[in-house]
Amino acid sequence: MSPEKKVVVKKHAYQVNDELADKIRESMKSKNKLFFNMMGSIGAGKTLILEQLAAKLSSKYRVFVINGDVATTIDSDRIAKQGATTVQINTGGGCHLSAKLIQNELDKINIDDYDIFIAENVGNLICPAAWDIGAQLNITVVSITEGEYVVKKHPIIFKNAAIAIINKCDLDGLGFNSDVLAEDASKLKSGMKVILTSAKTGQGIDELIKALGIEP
Amino acid sequence: MHEYSVASAIVDQVKAIVEEHKAIQVKKIIVSASPYEMIIPELLIEAYGIIIHELDKFKNSTLEIQISKAEISCLECDYKGEPDEKGDPEFAYNFICPKCGSRDTHINMKNLTIESVDLVIPDN
Ligand SMILES: Nc1nc2c(ncn2[C@@H]2O[C@H](COP(=O)(O)OP(=O)(O)OP(=O)(O)O)[C@@H](O)[C@H]2O)c(=O)[nH]1
Ligand SMILES: [Mg+2]
Ligand SMILES: [Zn+2]
Repeated sequence: MSPEKKVVVKKHAYQVNDELADKIRESMKSKNKLFFNMMGSIGAGKTLILEQLAAKLSSKYRVFVINGDVATTIDSDRIAKQGATTVQINTGGGCHLSAKLIQNELDKINIDDYDIFIAENVGNLICPAAWDIGAQLNITVVSITEGEYVVKKHPIIFKNAAIAIINKCDLDGLGFNSDVLAEDASKLKSGMKVILTSAKTGQGIDELIKALGIEP
Repeated sequence: MHEYSVASAIVDQVKAIVEEHKAIQVKKIIVSASPYEMIIPELLIEAYGIIIHELDKFKNSTLEIQISKAEISCLECDYKGEPDEKGDPEFAYNFICPKCGSRDTHINMKNLTIESVDLVIPDN
């Protein structure tokens, strides 16, 4: 019989991810780069918002967008048409991006070739909240067509964000309502920036750019 | 759900410990999780079973999950500790600070901790 041994570990399961995330955050900051993590539900309008952002920012900034999706390159192709450089990470069923997946993509490029980095996380209001990807600021997007109770049911992903976007406001009053969502998002966390947008009409996009601290 | 990624993260860390101790076999991993962890313990154990299927040193090992205490921290005062049972009547998974009454609290959902690993070491 070989001897057995109990090793006391006391380490967080997320530790390796979180350490890498911190490293990414520090290295981006030291190079004066901006890195944002856009989270939100499926179909909330994350990609269309990024198309709007890319269209407005690409003349002045070099924007790099990392699209996390379970499969396909549809989203990155859409955003690339608006002047950003894009790359699609297919998580192959995985429900969130991780620091490792981001680092893998950053290793393939020269960070100095870009000014602003944005990750579109996998459409999901639960799992991305647990995985730090090294962004300096998290944005959570929901749309008014998802009903009035999304914030109440999924407060965690909003707690982890500095900006809450309530999208599809062009449909406000047409059977959908932004009031409760906006009120809940600001009530849940003091200092939360709540922005009402329509990625279809462009409403709120300038306000978003300002909230991100980007000189338009 | 991300139990699969969490299980992989645990296995990766334990692999390093196996290396460090030159172990030949993993017998048991004990992790602790708070009640509001974003994982379902049964699914985590299932995912663990799938991942270790191909790993010789992990064959027949078990993953045990112990439930630890929930912990909130208040962003308005300095309270850090257990929430009360009442919760926040308006928001799921949110808690009112028992000290100052603020709802601006953060529940720690990333307390998932690898507590210990039982290893078989070669005798020499
Ligand atoms: N009316 C309206 N439709 C929108 C708006 N934003 C997005 N849409 C539509 O909603 C659908 C989903 O938009 P996407 O931008 O693909 O959403 P997404 O969050 O990136 O979706 P996933 O990446 O699949 O999770 C598309 O048909 C968009 O045209 C909006 O502000 N108003
Ligand atoms: Mg998308
Ligand atoms: Zn308090």
